[in-house]
Amino acid sequence: MNTIEEKLWNYIDGTCSEDEQKAIGLLIAQDEVYRRKYEELLKLNQEFSQMELDEPPMAFTYNVMEGIRAEHARQPLKAAINPRIIKAIAGFFILTILFFVIYMLSSVHVSTANVSVHVPDAVKLPDLKGFFNIRLLEGFIFFDVVLGLFLFDAWLRRRGASKQYKGVQ
Amino acid sequence: MQSKLSDIELIEQTLAGNQAAYADLIKRHQRFVFTLAMRFSKNREDAEEIAQDCFIKAYRSLSSFQRQSKFSTWLYSIVYTTAMTFLRKKRVDTDSIDDESTYIQLENHSGFDVNSAENKSRSYYLNQAIAQLLPDDAAIISLFYMGEQSLEEIGQALNMEANTVKVKLFRARQRLKEKLERNLKGEVKELI
Repeated sequence: MNTIEEKLWNYIDGTCSEDEQKAIGLLIAQDEVYRRKYEELLKLNQEFSQMELDEPPMAFTYNVMEGIRAEHARQPLKAAINPRIIKAIAGFFILTILFFVIYMLSSVHVSTANVSVHVPDAVKLPDLKGFFNIRLLEGFIFFDVVLGLFLFDAWLRRRGASKQYKGVQ
Repeated sequence: MQSKLSDIELIEQTLAGNQAAYADLIKRHQRFVFTLAMRFSKNREDAEEIAQDCFIKAYRSLSSFQRQSKFSTWLYSIVYTTAMTFLRKKRVDTDSIDDESTYIQLENHSGFDVNSAENKSRSYYLNQAIAQLLPDDAAIISLFYMGEQSLEEIGQALNMEANTVKVKLFRARQRLKEKLERNLKGEVKELI
């Protein structure tokens, strides 16, 4: 059995059924005890509704956004690396390997006295010997070394930042 | 100046990589989240930590927000779990959390000057009374009146049935009323 207060709060909140709402409305109109209690609770309800919110510090939003940025910075290396970079590096190495394979094949001298390969007159094989020279090879090795140093430097920086963050924590 | 975009639009922009949109979401909800955190922690420094942690957690799991409820309801459920974890971490045991007397001697955090007679309005006593309530009672009252959440939404945020929330709200209002009356009576006696 609900108390008068409970019934009246349900009436004020509108959480009772339509029939109950009507019955309580009638009691408020006819019964002095109900009417007084209703007025008291209504006043209290109004006061509760006017409660003020607390104000966070001025830099609150900034601090949260900084926290989010710090979280991004300490992402694991695996998650932070763009997959396109991985694909580009993989592509580069595949091309380099292909380059060396073709170079190696072009350098091999096969002499078969009895085998004769008939190449149609219309097909002209490219002269790869003229294409591959020592400067091109040096260029490739130099590029590999620079790329390797760049990736090593990036890894060291990330590792340093991660250690710094753990130190702050 | 706050954005006129809806919460959902701001969430979509945030998920698309616009961090400024999330800053707008924070500005929109920070006062209530901070107030709710205050209701649990009863301390400004702790409330700030809880509120910040809550917004960072919400950012991290924004993509998992199902949009079946209001963003605010989802956010308040994060405040509740974050606050509970925080209180547990602070090694406040269950008995002391449930002990109402713990909160009676709490300092005033309403931002008013306690010694200024002019500031001792009804609203001051109301803030004082709410600070003396148990965290759950204070949170339910805040969610209902200040967060404009329905009983069902409060239930979702606090992981309770709507009917349980209804009963708890009734009891919390009764306790708040009693404390308010007691504080006001005490003040009248002081004046006499």
